[in-house]
Amino acid sequence: MSERISIFRDTRHLQILAVLIAAAGAGAFWVRGQLVPPDWGKSGPYRESALAQIASDPHILTADNKCLTCHESVHEERKDSPHVAVRCMHCHGNGHEHMKVAEKGDYKKPETPAAWDNKFPSKVDLFVTKDRAICLSCHMKVLGMPESFKSIDVAKHLEEQGAENVDSPDVCFECHTGHSPGIE
Amino acid sequence: MESQFVFPNDWHVAWSIMIVLYPYITGLVAGAFVVSALYHVFHDNSLKPVSRLAMVTALCFCSCATMPLLLHLHQPMRAFNIMITPSATSAMAGFGFIYNLYMLLLVVEVWLIFRPEIVATAQTATGIKGLVTKVLSLGIKEITPGARAVDNWVIRALAIIGIPAACILHGYVGFLFGGIKANPWWSTAMMPVIFLISAVVSGIAALVLFYLITGRGHSAEERSECVYSLTRYLWIALIAAFALEMLELLHMAYEGSSDWHVIWHLLTHPLRLSYGVLQVGVGSLVPLLLLPLALLMKRWPRLMMTVSALASLLVLVQVFAMRWNVVIGGQLFSKSHRGFVTYPLEPMGREGLIAAIVVLVLPVVLLLVASKVLPVYEEKAAH
Amino acid sequence: MNSLLSILGQSASSGCGSCGSGGGCCQSSGQPHHTHGHHAHEHHSHSHHGGCCSQSATSVRPDETRRGFMERATTLVLGSFTLTLLPMMSGDEKKEEPSQTPAAPPEKAAAPPDPAAAAKGVLYGFLIDTEKCTGAGKCLTACREENRVPEGNSRTWVERYTHFRDGRVQVDLVPESGFHGSTVPQYDPAEVAKSYFVPKLCNQCVDAPCNQVCPVHASITSPEGVELVDPDRCIGCGYCVQACPYGMRFMNPETNNADKCTWCYHRITKNEQPACVEACPTGARVFGRLDDPESDLSKRLASLRTQVLKEHLGTNPKLFYTSLSDEVI
Repeated sequence: MSERISIFRDTRHLQILAVLIAAAGAGAFWVRGQLVPPDWGKSGPYRESALAQIASDPHILTADNKCLTCHESVHEERKDSPHVAVRCMHCHGNGHEHMKVAEKGDYKKPETPAAWDNKFPSKVDLFVTKDRAICLSCHMKVLGMPESFKSIDVAKHLEEQGAENVDSPDVCFECHTGHSPGIE
Repeated sequence: MESQFVFPNDWHVAWSIMIVLYPYITGLVAGAFVVSALYHVFHDNSLKPVSRLAMVTALCFCSCATMPLLLHLHQPMRAFNIMITPSATSAMAGFGFIYNLYMLLLVVEVWLIFRPEIVATAQTATGIKGLVTKVLSLGIKEITPGARAVDNWVIRALAIIGIPAACILHGYVGFLFGGIKANPWWSTAMMPVIFLISAVVSGIAALVLFYLITGRGHSAEERSECVYSLTRYLWIALIAAFALEMLELLHMAYEGSSDWHVIWHLLTHPLRLSYGVLQVGVGSLVPLLLLPLALLMKRWPRLMMTVSALASLLVLVQVFAMRWNVVIGGQLFSKSHRGFVTYPLEPMGREGLIAAIVVLVLPVVLLLVASKVLPVYEEKAAH
Repeated sequence: MNSLLSILGQSASSGCGSCGSGGGCCQSSGQPHHTHGHHAHEHHSHSHHGGCCSQSATSVRPDETRRGFMERATTLVLGSFTLTLLPMMSGDEKKEEPSQTPAAPPEKAAAPPDPAAAAKGVLYGFLIDTEKCTGAGKCLTACREENRVPEGNSRTWVERYTHFRDGRVQVDLVPESGFHGSTVPQYDPAEVAKSYFVPKLCNQCVDAPCNQVCPVHASITSPEGVELVDPDRCIGCGYCVQACPYGMRFMNPETNNADKCTWCYHRITKNEQPACVEACPTGARVFGRLDDPESDLSKRLASLRTQVLKEHLGTNPKLFYTSLSDEVI
């Protein structure tokens, strides 16, 4: 490099470039600052209001304690039976719609309850309970069930117990009740 | 395999062909940059004919590198979150910054390389061309010998900085996969190194082809000299890449950990074609025979260049297959380690085959246009 | 377990100096815990270390000769672990434990005035009692409806493992409608050695890989230790889906965000049980507070032998299982 280099004249393009890059960088940094959510990092490295946002998702499933506020007697019926852990919705449906009406205080019992659509917890809100399919959705013997769980081979069980109407949907209720299914 | 059992969420392959393309494209960027650095930094004058082409190639591919990512993101409108609220613990979060800095470096270096032509054109041209070159010349009307000396020094400095920058840009992609402990096919410290070396391989191979297509203005002697040199580098890099890839596999097989049965089934069944045939056979072993053969044919330049071009084409297939086998292959087995899924490559859609071809062809078209518009091979005339 | 326990240890401010560095006692041994019964012995005077060893040691089949000793060590260790937690609770305002059983008609739970303050010190945990799961699949539909999970993805699922007498292991997925009219395969009982159900849900790891890889901090660890996805910040890159070793995350095609099990964050923050727990008719799923030694969960964890999934990956899940077999991953 034999040429004489003038620091001011020969690097002018680089000076302009440096100013441009610095301006663009500062601009980008400022824009970035504007785009960070205002509640960022208040309780951790995240948008704090996201917590409340997620927590405000609607509840779909109705917990038993809500049902039992009105249907107190059911608690007494099932508290000593194995079905104490079975939730209302398993046999009666989710009750989401029912609760909406009941909370207003103008609930009227329907003439004919809806039939179960074989989908738990079912879009059908509150359905008819005396259906063996509901019992068997838990109690049908299937490979993998724990020994301690009362599971049955349906045909064998009905024959052994001498059921009267073997084909009836409510055959189980010849001997059992839902809330306290043990045999007295 | 005992039983086919796939976790319910593993049926869907979350990372599509777009995530195959991304490391493929950045690999070409890194590789092409290394070639230009061999000339600018290490003064390998045999590569002088492609030194400008290499820089323009890197710029063209780099400017398209975000396209597959934006096509892949399920929330592309929020893409800038990666720079607004980056997470220091994420291998991916560095992307925005590394990419932008590297892009800036490329633009400045290409600008400096072409500055004599830009300033000269700005004085004579009119219309749009005149306007663009006037803006790009930053109002400077002549380049003094002193300024040229400064530029050459800065170009060299940027090339020196660019080598580690290119390594980081591409090595971090490898780390992105290598750091996923949930995936035994990805989780290895070798991953960044393998990605980097195969990036160099693909960059050199691409330059061989681009040069043979666009560099017809050069004399036959100049061309064969340059291609010979590129072929030599390609051969060395391919040996290193293939050795590392096989070493990784051998290591996994020899250790035979509890995950090996999954990987073995992966390689012998879903990836049989793309790994066994394309990556190892046609893509590596054949070029490993062809490349030394080409080097032995220095006496017959046309034959040498033909063999080298064929080997380069196969190597480009190899590197694509390698990216595919890592990205897609790593998602073809469930995290249950008991079942395998398939990746249906749809032709249409944002992440479909057609979109992928467009993404891959676009930088090549850009490059062909640039080689017509920019004086990629006219450095001598400018002096 | 290490980090989890050290977190608890720190908030208990028991001045456990070697907690951080020494916490790796299990990992650094580099060997299966059940072959190293003496580890528990070395550490059982130190509750945190001992805790981490015992959790794993008791979960795998111990040597018959060591069994008695292991059990005693475990009791000691977990007992002292519980004791160290007690002082921590004294100062804190207790958040009401979500009602465990629907036994009594509940009194109206007063909404906490400041959710952030109420969450202070709360740490949730989950226990799966695999010996109680009957594979009825009630939890699955409950989750799908409660969280509007799109078809084709799952926030929770139940696997059935069947070990055949010839050594083969078959895993099947329990269908969501339960067994009524279901398609779960049946096998010849004569060929089956054992069979059991394993529910899966988010492990809510203390060292969550999904959180680690999220590039934009859209993965949130809530103050209660629950891993969430910020629906307004997620860019939908899918990196967290790759990083979760348990396959719990997925890209939600309806929201275009990453999605995952949140242990029903919207329910548990309002003193309700997660939907799957609410829907479980057999008590196989137990949710509760880890920071409260009096909670049903803490008491069970203290007395049962538990293990976590893919422990070797060091994710430190807060989801515990009883009686797992090695085949379950």
